Amino acid sequence: MMTADLQRSWVEQLISDANAGLPGQDLAWLDSARADARQAVAELPLPNRKQESWRYSAVESLLKNSFRPAPDDVSELQALDLQNWLLPAYEAYRLVFANGHFVPQLSSGALLPAGVTLGNLRTALAGDSEWLARWFGQTANHTEHLFTALNTALANDGALIHIAAGVEVDRPIEVVYLSLGQETAALVQPRNLVVLEAGAKATLVERFIGSGEAGYFNNNLTEIALRDGASLAHYRVQDESRNAWHLSSLYLAQDRDSRYLGTTLAFGAGWARTDYNTRFSDQGAACELNGLYTAGDRQVTDFHVNVQHSVPGCASRERFKGILFGKGRAVFDGRILVDKQAQHTDAHLTNDNLMLTRDAEVDTKPQLEIYADDVKCSHGTTVGQLDPEQVFYLRSRGIAVDAARKMLCLGFAGEIIDTVELQPLREYAAGRLADTLNAAVVEE
Amino acid sequence: MSPTPDTVDELIRSGYQHGFVTEIESDTVPAGLSEDTIRMISLKKQEPDWMLEWRLKAYRHWLTLEEPEWAHVQHPPIDFQAISYYSAPKKKGDGPKSLDEVDPQLLDAYNKLGIPLDEQKALAGVAVDAVFDSVSVATTFRKNLAEAGVIFCAMSEAVREHPELVQKYLGSVVPHTDNYFACLNSAVFTDGTFVFIPRGVRCPMELSTYFRINEAKTGQFERTLIVAEEGSHVSYLEGCTAPMRDENQLHAAVVELIALEDARIKYSTVQNWYPGDEQGRGGIYNFVTKRGDCRGDRSHISWTQVETGSAITWKYPSCILRGNDSVGEFYSVAVTRGMQQADTGTKMIHLGRNTRSTIVSKGISAGQGQNTYRGLVRMAQRAENARNHSQCDSLLIGDRCGAHTFPYIEVRNPTAKVEHEATTSKISEDQLFYCRQRGLSEENAVSMIVNGFCKEVFNELPMEFAVEAQKLLNITLEGAVG
Amino acid sequence: MLSIKNLQVAIEGKDILRGLNLDIGAGEVHAIMGPNGSGKSTLSHALAGRDGYQVTGGEVLFDGRDLLALEPEQRAHLGVFLGMQYPVELPGVNNMMFMRESLNAIRRARGEEELDAVAFMTRVRDKARLVDLDEKLLKRNVNAGFSGGEKKRNEILQMAMLEPKLAILDETDSGLDIDALRVIAGGVNALRSPERSIILITHYQRLLDYIEPDFVHVMVGGRIVRSGDKSLALELEEKGYGWIEEEAA
Repeated sequence: MMTADLQRSWVEQLISDANAGLPGQDLAWLDSARADARQAVAELPLPNRKQESWRYSAVESLLKNSFRPAPDDVSELQALDLQNWLLPAYEAYRLVFANGHFVPQLSSGALLPAGVTLGNLRTALAGDSEWLARWFGQTANHTEHLFTALNTALANDGALIHIAAGVEVDRPIEVVYLSLGQETAALVQPRNLVVLEAGAKATLVERFIGSGEAGYFNNNLTEIALRDGASLAHYRVQDESRNAWHLSSLYLAQDRDSRYLGTTLAFGAGWARTDYNTRFSDQGAACELNGLYTAGDRQVTDFHVNVQHSVPGCASRERFKGILFGKGRAVFDGRILVDKQAQHTDAHLTNDNLMLTRDAEVDTKPQLEIYADDVKCSHGTTVGQLDPEQVFYLRSRGIAVDAARKMLCLGFAGEIIDTVELQPLREYAAGRLADTLNAAVVEE
Repeated sequence: MSPTPDTVDELIRSGYQHGFVTEIESDTVPAGLSEDTIRMISLKKQEPDWMLEWRLKAYRHWLTLEEPEWAHVQHPPIDFQAISYYSAPKKKGDGPKSLDEVDPQLLDAYNKLGIPLDEQKALAGVAVDAVFDSVSVATTFRKNLAEAGVIFCAMSEAVREHPELVQKYLGSVVPHTDNYFACLNSAVFTDGTFVFIPRGVRCPMELSTYFRINEAKTGQFERTLIVAEEGSHVSYLEGCTAPMRDENQLHAAVVELIALEDARIKYSTVQNWYPGDEQGRGGIYNFVTKRGDCRGDRSHISWTQVETGSAITWKYPSCILRGNDSVGEFYSVAVTRGMQQADTGTKMIHLGRNTRSTIVSKGISAGQGQNTYRGLVRMAQRAENARNHSQCDSLLIGDRCGAHTFPYIEVRNPTAKVEHEATTSKISEDQLFYCRQRGLSEENAVSMIVNGFCKEVFNELPMEFAVEAQKLLNITLEGAVG
Repeated sequence: MLSIKNLQVAIEGKDILRGLNLDIGAGEVHAIMGPNGSGKSTLSHALAGRDGYQVTGGEVLFDGRDLLALEPEQRAHLGVFLGMQYPVELPGVNNMMFMRESLNAIRRARGEEELDAVAFMTRVRDKARLVDLDEKLLKRNVNAGFSGGEKKRNEILQMAMLEPKLAILDETDSGLDIDALRVIAGGVNALRSPERSIILITHYQRLLDYIEPDFVHVMVGGRIVRSGDKSLALELEEKGYGWIEEEAA
């Protein structure tokens, strides 16, 4: 009980400390969202394993840390050389956040095509942003759990992207979240909003990068609205510090005939969880989500995917693959919900896991909840090790056992990595995976 | 094998044909639950002290528990004080010495259920231990079985006659601390079946028990315990029916199976309790804990169930695969229609090396029925080379029903392999048209396709049960199509 | 026996058959040929009563009865048999049991005695030889896991069992090698009789080398644009469909 009380007081302290510095306090719409969230923080239980959605996600280690908001001081970032973190041969419109704060000098604001708005929440709140007022908090569920409520109550900065109707953005938009060494356990809470108006088309890359051994908590929340016929390719790479906690909450709202193609890659962090929530508002929309995760020693990686088909004639396809080694632990919780009126839904979910070592652990829970009859829905899950026959086959062709195992792992993951259509990013991801596997094979 | 439309029509016309009430003078204790109720049950059953203590311990634990809410089912709260925990037909004298002495009305009731408790059954090779409400009234063929060394008797008798076996095994698979309803059962169970197959014996006949809930407002809490010693084999059939009643009746049974080295237990259930009417009034709440323990190496436990009845079904016949090379199987057909709800599945807990499990679940939802598969496959750290394959298919008939699949897969061993697949679909237009083009009516075509969908599970049932299961399926789905 | 007058059929609002006329007498074999998309399969499905084929005009009389007013199974009871291009798989439904249910449903509808198990078995074995169908396939589930050729043989076996008055064989030759084609054609020829009419729907002339039609019709754009005897098929083989399509346009 003592611990729970301490954790509770941590949360309350966060809220009471925050008031002074928050931007946009004069905005009624923001004020009411924050008030709702504060109330939720006060009322919601701490996440615990008796709650179905936290059954396999232990948060004790996270709550023990009493994270404090990262200082608002970006002066030390002046000297930062972004080149260290950029991918080669990669032209993008870019937003950079360091420890949760926007870094204008590293971001590319100029020369944006007409109809493309890129910015950050803190700056936008100082001005009069009509579309922000209209969209903020519209797709997210602030009261989903304690952490979404915290993010909203303390909403401070984050990426804002708006693409006007019919505009096709010529380059990828990249948002980089840097976490740099911190003295204290820092809490970073990016709050992002992405809106593609009717027929707009864009590619969004999000990269979470941690330096050194920092033990911070990135609790980010992203709202994405795709209006009629809009199309978004969305790539995420989570490569936080091995001592970091990372929680992503994504809320996706798709209107008629919109397309979402997402690929999410999780390599880093000590404890990472990503929740995808997809809702369709009208017919003909499609959501494809691909995920790859690796987890080794002292790593827990967790994906929750919740796709709600509440209207007829939409399609969703989720494919997640994981590679576990060392004492790595993975959790996958996927849910497809098909409402009564959502006839002609086409929804499929798969989760495949490779366990390379004895102490690895997988908990997976693919779910179908279906209330309509004329639907095509399925899920499939596998957990296993590399096929010894395949390993043997490669060895009989003269390939060393480590190389053979690595090759088979890369083959296993290839299906997901290949869904990244940006070549430099795809190559980076493949390289990053190969490095991880080298370490994994050595660890074994 | 397939029922012709004539027999289906006939069966339909008869409605819920097990809905008659047998008027027999019953010895029913007043409703309510307390330590005194439990002392009274124990006294009436002339139980030894250890049994009473066992019950009281469970009851005291139960008082600390809260009713679980996690299942995908909805029902009004159960008033445990409104239930009568003991109901026995009043006996003439000291109980029947032979079938001739059994109350003719009782025998008549069994005949209506189609259980021939007579010589014909001997020809069919089935021994029947019939449980009428709470007390076992007649057991046949015990002599034959006794010659083989098989004990097949009422649980209350086993408590008196074979206390050492009961004390050794009762609660060893499902302890009273396991869950809310199992705990309640441990406190108040009134009767059930005890089966003991000694080392090396193949049980010479299929053992069968029909459970039947007759008295209004009597909860039924059977306790079944089957122990198969080293190298023995047994196949056990359980059939369930209940008459129509307006009020919901609680049924919270516990079944424990123990298979020692090289033993095989096959447990088949056809459950056809009263499901309530189309508006969801009445019907049985079937909250059952069934678990088998493959304690010995190479032991084998197989659960097959066809669940067409009950307003709410909540059961997960499970296997603990403790012995190396042991095998667990779960084959299930669950049908929900009207306002029925089923939340059923299995747990396969792999502890030993080279353990294998197979799960085949076929859910059929019609009307406003809600059908949930919930299953757990756990590969423990030392479950070297363990294997599981799960196939969960759902068939939806009509657009107001629901089919849900909630599998939990936990793997702690890299050499273990788990494969899980689930699909949800309706009967395809192509299949229907094909059958109709060949002259079959739509209804007959649907029945044929649905039976085909379930065939993998029906194949696991003993022949007689398979036929009964098909008939039940057709009755259950009658009128659901179109 | 079959009289189709100005038949118009649409699928999802799109017109496929645009006024088709065809008369078939008892015992006649008619081949219907035509390029892809000309409406051949639509005709066969519309005659069998498949849902989703909306008849927007015209009439079909079968022995003087309005065929289009009937349910699919009622048409089957009258003796309409459709041998499908892609026979459907029925998982878990035993092939033999299925045929028996089908045959007895038709016999009942006609007021005939049902066949008992023994009579049925004798008949199945007898007919299976006709199409050289491995008896093992009788014990399997309907078409489940059958090869393309086995499925087509199974269709002809069902035709032999059900003894239809009108058999519509939709691209029965597609996907068959030459040996299988011979066997199936042999089976169909054995089933020719003065009371049984057959419509052969095919893309290629090849089938007609083995089953000699009395009449050949060419469909283009949802109509029969040309009719003749078997020499028409040879002409098509030589010149392709282009010239007829041009003429029709």
